[in-house]
Amino acid sequence: MNILDWAVSLEGYLCVGAILFFLGLAAVLYRRNAIGILLGIELILNAASINFIAFSKYRAVAIDGQLVTLFIILIAAAEAAVALAIILRLYRLRETVDAGEASIMRN
Amino acid sequence: MANSALFAHSLQDWIGIGPLWVWAAVSAVVILYAIALPFAGIATYVERKVSADMQDRFGPNRVGPFGILQFIADFVKMLAKQDFIPQGADRILFSLAPILVLAGACAAFAVLPLSKYFLGADMNIGILYALAVTTLIAPGLLLGSWASQNKWSLLGGLRAAAQIISYEIPVALSIFPAILISGTLQIGQIVETQGWVWSAQAGTDYHFWNAFHNPFCFLAMFLLFVGGLAETNRIPFDLPEAESELVSGFSTEFSGMRFGLYALAEFVDIFVMSSIVVALYLGGWQLPFINIDQLSDSIPTLLVAFIQLGCFLVKVFMLVFVVMWLRWTLPRLRVDQLMAACWKGLVPLALVNLLGTAVWMWAFNGRSIAQLVLGPMVN
Amino acid sequence: MTTGLKIVLLLAELLCVSSAILVTFHPNILHAAVALLFAFLGVAVMFVYAGADFIAGVQVIVYVGGVTVLVLFAVMLTHWLYKVTLRDVRKKLIVPIVLLVILLVPAVYKSLVELASSSQNIAPERVAEFAGSAKTALIGQALLGNYLLPFEAITILLLGALVGAVGLARPK
Repeated sequence: MNILDWAVSLEGYLCVGAILFFLGLAAVLYRRNAIGILLGIELILNAASINFIAFSKYRAVAIDGQLVTLFIILIAAAEAAVALAIILRLYRLRETVDAGEASIMRN
Repeated sequence: MANSALFAHSLQDWIGIGPLWVWAAVSAVVILYAIALPFAGIATYVERKVSADMQDRFGPNRVGPFGILQFIADFVKMLAKQDFIPQGADRILFSLAPILVLAGACAAFAVLPLSKYFLGADMNIGILYALAVTTLIAPGLLLGSWASQNKWSLLGGLRAAAQIISYEIPVALSIFPAILISGTLQIGQIVETQGWVWSAQAGTDYHFWNAFHNPFCFLAMFLLFVGGLAETNRIPFDLPEAESELVSGFSTEFSGMRFGLYALAEFVDIFVMSSIVVALYLGGWQLPFINIDQLSDSIPTLLVAFIQLGCFLVKVFMLVFVVMWLRWTLPRLRVDQLMAACWKGLVPLALVNLLGTAVWMWAFNGRSIAQLVLGPMVN
Repeated sequence: MTTGLKIVLLLAELLCVSSAILVTFHPNILHAAVALLFAFLGVAVMFVYAGADFIAGVQVIVYVGGVTVLVLFAVMLTHWLYKVTLRDVRKKLIVPIVLLVILLVPAVYKSLVELASSSQNIAPERVAEFAGSAKTALIGQALLGNYLLPFEAITILLLGALVGAVGLARPK
């Protein structure tokens, strides 16, 4: 199978989606910076969007997948705004954005 | 993609070989270089002449007749300057930022309806595409300002980004009434429906320029223009590069061609902003009271295309002149005034406009003032 | 679809993957955020090729114009300009890499081999017709039809997020 044909096929989309998902997961585990973790979450959400869009074209042949993606995008925007507000709050309290330092509640 | 460029089609027919996408790319580059670059060059000259006139000076008058070649001299000077990257600057982002800004401004050219026959790509999400690609400007400015490692730059960049993302909201809300009237996002169709009421053919619905469709739309045009002014960082919204406070804002550390790219992007952005106002509310390529397209039986299509192009450009240049005129008329806003104007002034007004247009469409069955006054069209 | 268009899509997919690698492993958090911007753009191109041009537009407006700018803002407000380290403290690399290998390989294998040979393939003409048709009006009708409840719910969610974010970030 030609690589160009593969790129436009369902498998190509799913492959990119899978890679993005796991790179995002790795970022969430690997990063200590809270903003870095947020970047990872955005990657994961995008990977999910890719899968929805790909299946809506190649399997369902309907727009439902696109609508779900629309909602994912909107939720991601809300999530980013709230997460960044929390990060700024953390920074004001502890002078750091290291997620490991956010342990005020532990003791 | 789905709607390949008409221009590319004709190029392909003319030359006769090569795949369509090559010609689409070629025509995009040609349109960019044939319109964007000369426009930006001449706009700098006109801006200097206009400001000189308003301050009772001569302005540039040495290079060429009336100093008209001044912009070429400026361009050569800019190219010859040292390309300087400050010590400690983030080199990658410093190089990337001007490119992002210029790319964001230039990419919008693809959907500008210069004429019915010179439309880069009449895609079905046209106006959304224009909104989308111009959002590249905000991260570009922000990154450039951070990369310069200079506090004035950083403050300027932060101001620019905050201003652009805030004013994006009234701009988008002021675009919606036009979409509501035309029922499409396709810019070509939005312009098409703005023909003169009596020249509509069977099966079409012309309602004259959207600005005069109903009172709310008239106001929406002004809101769109003011919001666009803020998005292009022009006076009275030029806080990101306020000379008296921030030296030169986000472009302080940029020199040579990188600064040139910023300056170019600013003028291209003004052109794009004015074009969007013209296309959505001022009838785009339509001549008032005449349907030039109907005459295409008696005069050649190419002539029609150029009349439409001229019509569009005249309207755009009038708006660009207003932008320059405002520069020497209004003082700069303060930061708090800027944000208050957006969130307490423009956003509620834009929402009222949107609601008002929706009610108008429902109450009068989508008919414009001109249609109501002049009665139904022929056929 | 012409070869040129296919090449563009392949490049977009490569852009997605390579920027995602930078997002995950680049030590400088600001560069990671910029890489994320390019990943978003690549994903938008993939959306266009799947016939979701409206969603692609929304993706660029919300992610590039909104989320990326917010993230850049947050980085700049939480890292001092003249003491820029911006270095992300490294945890041990072994955990994410092992996880990647364990989870990614079967997933890619499944999408490559099993789905490719599955018999559910829809006729390519239908898929091409779907990809080429205009869907913006359909999306609008669906939002006020079948998807009205999620649409209303998301407006409330967005309002809540707006108020919540302002409340959290405001200095006391």
